[in-house]
Amino acid sequence: MADSADVHSLDGPRGPKPRKKLSRRNIILYGTLFVVAVYYLIPLYVMLVTSVKGMPEIRMGNIFSLPLEITFEPWVKAWSQACTGLNCDGLSRGFWNSVKITVPSVVISIAIASINGYALANWRFKGANLFFTVLIFGAFIPYQIMLYPLVIILRDLGLYTKLPGLIMIHSIFGMPILTLLFRNYFTSIPEELFKAARVDGAGFWGIYFRVMMPMSLPIFVVAIILQVTGIWNDFLFGVIYTKPANYPMTVQLNNIVNSVQGVKEYNVNMAATLLTGLVPLAVYFISGKLFVRGIAAGAVKG
Amino acid sequence: MNSIEIKKLSLNFDEVVVLKDLDLTIEKGEFLVLLGASGCGKSTLLNCIAGLLDVTDGQIFINGKNVTWHEPAQRGIGMVFQSYALYPQMSVKGNLSFGLKNAGLPKEEIEKRVKHASEMLQIESLLERKPAALSGGQRQRVAIGRALVRDVEVFLFDEPLSNLDAKLRTELRVEIKRLHQKLDNTMIYVTHDQIEAMTLADRIAVMRDGLILQLDDPKTIYNAPANKYVAGFIGSPGMKFLKGTILQNDKPIFKLEGGWSESPDLSNYKFQESIKTETQVWLGIRPESVVVGGEAKNMPVNFSLEVEVVEPMGADTLVWSQIGGQEFRFIIDGNISVNVGDRVTVGFDPAHVSIFDFDNEERL
Amino acid sequence: MPKQALPERFFIGSILLAFVMLVLATVGIKSQILENAQFLILLPSLLLVIWMGVKTGRLEIFTNRLRKYATGWLIAALTSAMVWSFAQKGTQLALPILKDLRKVWNTFEPFALFATAVFILFCLVLLVIGTRDSDLERPGYIESSLVNNLSSKIAAVPMAFTAFGIFIMATLWTVYHSFTNSRLLPKSELIGFGQYERLWSSDRWYVSIENLAIFGVGSLVFSLTIGFMLAALLDQKTRFENTFRTIFLYPFALSFIITGLIWQWILNPDHGVQKVVRSLGFDNFVFNPLYNADIVIYGVLIAALWQGTGFIMCLMLAGLRGIDQEIWMAARVDGIPMWKTYLRIVIPMMRPVFITTLVIISAGIIKVYDLIVAQTSGGPGLASEVPAKYVFDYMFGHQNLAQGFAGSTMMLVSVLIVLIPLAYLGFGRRKHG
Repeated sequence: MADSADVHSLDGPRGPKPRKKLSRRNIILYGTLFVVAVYYLIPLYVMLVTSVKGMPEIRMGNIFSLPLEITFEPWVKAWSQACTGLNCDGLSRGFWNSVKITVPSVVISIAIASINGYALANWRFKGANLFFTVLIFGAFIPYQIMLYPLVIILRDLGLYTKLPGLIMIHSIFGMPILTLLFRNYFTSIPEELFKAARVDGAGFWGIYFRVMMPMSLPIFVVAIILQVTGIWNDFLFGVIYTKPANYPMTVQLNNIVNSVQGVKEYNVNMAATLLTGLVPLAVYFISGKLFVRGIAAGAVKG
Repeated sequence: MNSIEIKKLSLNFDEVVVLKDLDLTIEKGEFLVLLGASGCGKSTLLNCIAGLLDVTDGQIFINGKNVTWHEPAQRGIGMVFQSYALYPQMSVKGNLSFGLKNAGLPKEEIEKRVKHASEMLQIESLLERKPAALSGGQRQRVAIGRALVRDVEVFLFDEPLSNLDAKLRTELRVEIKRLHQKLDNTMIYVTHDQIEAMTLADRIAVMRDGLILQLDDPKTIYNAPANKYVAGFIGSPGMKFLKGTILQNDKPIFKLEGGWSESPDLSNYKFQESIKTETQVWLGIRPESVVVGGEAKNMPVNFSLEVEVVEPMGADTLVWSQIGGQEFRFIIDGNISVNVGDRVTVGFDPAHVSIFDFDNEERL
Repeated sequence: MPKQALPERFFIGSILLAFVMLVLATVGIKSQILENAQFLILLPSLLLVIWMGVKTGRLEIFTNRLRKYATGWLIAALTSAMVWSFAQKGTQLALPILKDLRKVWNTFEPFALFATAVFILFCLVLLVIGTRDSDLERPGYIESSLVNNLSSKIAAVPMAFTAFGIFIMATLWTVYHSFTNSRLLPKSELIGFGQYERLWSSDRWYVSIENLAIFGVGSLVFSLTIGFMLAALLDQKTRFENTFRTIFLYPFALSFIITGLIWQWILNPDHGVQKVVRSLGFDNFVFNPLYNADIVIYGVLIAALWQGTGFIMCLMLAGLRGIDQEIWMAARVDGIPMWKTYLRIVIPMMRPVFITTLVIISAGIIKVYDLIVAQTSGGPGLASEVPAKYVFDYMFGHQNLAQGFAGSTMMLVSVLIVLIPLAYLGFGRRKHG
């Protein structure tokens, strides 16, 4: 205290309350967070190191140790040679199937849901709320109860086991939550804007394309994140509504890893798992905070 | 004894300086208002006094005790927040007693204090209700009650009335003033509303950019603002400023920039210090210190001008005009009828104007 | 008159939908479901109209413009009926001219019959609503209730179709068929509660339910407490908050399949945690939840918590951030310790967040399927079966459709039991607040 008194002649405590950097509170706080973070990171780490080890090393060593020798062979094998049943062309087939499923499903479901949401938010009509309630309720109903009737419908349409059929399924089941997302967003846009556009003579579609859509880019991004991760990660619909040649990546991955034939190649399995996870992980790390919004909106889904 | 003493207080948020080297002394029983536009640091200062923010430098004394490092609850303060900050799931009684229970006070004592506070604020009938079932005014009373039961020397108010509508605000304003007269403890009150400040305060501290521009009683602040900012901030409708120069021969004369047939004689004005000739200044005139018609003839300065816009406000009428190309406005009695295009004679006493330096805007 | 508005809304909705069905049917989609759907919609509509008519007690058919509209629909109905009759053999014999276009008539036959029913219904509606509703006198009232805002209604057709045509119809279809003896193919003869009796006497279903209960309670308790605690830890103006949040949340981006496979590997007794600990010298260390029928579900729980807790944390964090900063200040001025502020003030204030989270977790728990398939395939034995897997296996593996339907109906019932009170709590509060 002596020197501070010299400068300003202020006695006693002054300035910020002294805090130890290593206070008990901070040790507990950061210690807990650190331990939990390690728990969360270990699986990713184990996947990575396993996928670049050779099989002998895996049999001998432990799963947490760093690889003695790095090999990318498991990755190559997972991508182009791993077998599911009789097909031995690796995950690449599933990857392209998933792309072919995801892209149109995302586009279709978002197009329909955004227009629905817009109609519900800005052009309310009698009975709209009833539809909407049923739709939202549909989001909570276990899918299992609708699985079989949809098989019949797809079969009638001649789309069963084909990719367009699965695209239709994804579009249908994406609708409740996306509609809710868009409706809530459009409701939050000031109504004056909508009224001004109407006074200026714009109609239903004019307002949608020229006023609402340009203003809603963030919500479209959120919807895209939600749908891409959701559809990419889907397993149930993929396994029911497609046949082996059209299996999406997730289904193929499960079949590769859990196949009972042959010797288990853990390194290839982990490489395949990582490969399948790359797309959603990339979406996650690129989109950052928008991802949180997306999943928060999609949480009630499926 | 001084109730609160603040010495060399500074506060930075990272690189941003919010409060700079601030000194302030508040006497026991004083009602001090911190007044300023949003972002001037007034609420920050209050939070520092309450101990809700860690200061960067300086000291805070409450009742002679250095409390710079004390927790808020140990400082002997009660605080009332803008959003009331009532605990929503507790009844009014629970809200009032929660802090006391926590401090381990005996039951009878808590009962006594809650009873006393609720009687004082006339909320006895609301004790069992939840905050959600109260009106804005009632909630604010409960919030005041929560400070009251703490039985402390110092009350801190953070814009307590700004969430209420205009009518309720005036009612509660009076009640706070009554409360102060009854309790006679120190109160620090933050607001951006200059009428609240004028009506409540013993002293007002006008703040801007983390500095106290002027600390004085309301009358002085109104009549002799220390600088152009304070002058413009206090008073409604606000003071109008005329740009010009002062020529000092045998007596000071105001020359309006842009040319004006009149050159008012400012001998009546009490300059802080003698003034050099050809000083560029702002001449500030409050609209309400201008008089019209017959009375104007008796004023040291009088002239006539043409009415451009008339804004009747009931009791008064605000008249807009121009002097030599600069905007000028004044208030006349609401009963006098004037029309656009009329020429009226107006006058003022230079003793009641304020003159500020053109460059540093300080009072001359 | 809110009480009357509801049936009307339902009614107009069902009519619109019936129209959609008609259109779909006309473009050539013949399906058992659609045909059933049409009549399932029409029947309650018709009953509703009759009920409304009875309640009205009077039918002033020939007042005002009503006659015009009603006649219009009647003509439309007659036309449809005529088309239908053209397809009948007897008519074709009587009028040989029709035979040339036989194919056309035959295609239209079912729809014409359906359209007749719909148009007659429309006619009845007009009469009934007309006598009840004085607004009808207002010019353009009927048009406005159907045609006004047309773009919006057309835009909402996919939604209406999904909501009623798929969600409601598919659900009703499955519930109906759970009372049948469908095996490889759906049959429609009802057999009563046989499937449910079989379901509840099946060991496998019991194991599934038991697992679901353990898994459900476990994930609710742990993800809520851990999620909340992590959120509270991150809400202390913590440095590196973003880094921590990114780490806690990334598993949520991964699918259940991936989650299951990773944890299957880590919990592998020959290579994973058990082996590593044993190699450290603890030779008798046993940790192989995936191969022990008694604890296998906890192995799944670990994986599920790893995947989902980060997300619960995010919801909680958003909830904490939504709490007025001044509440914290007031608590500090009142001298309330931090843990007590959380317990007594903050958590009760976050009630809506907790309800939302509860709904989200519960809805997810009942549907859990992928994780089990990937991590344990239901094993060892049947030890980690869950209802969703039971349903799937019976529907698509064991060719016993009705048993699967019964199981899925039970799932639906349990979702409703969980959701309806929660929804009521959640939405009911909002109305008051």
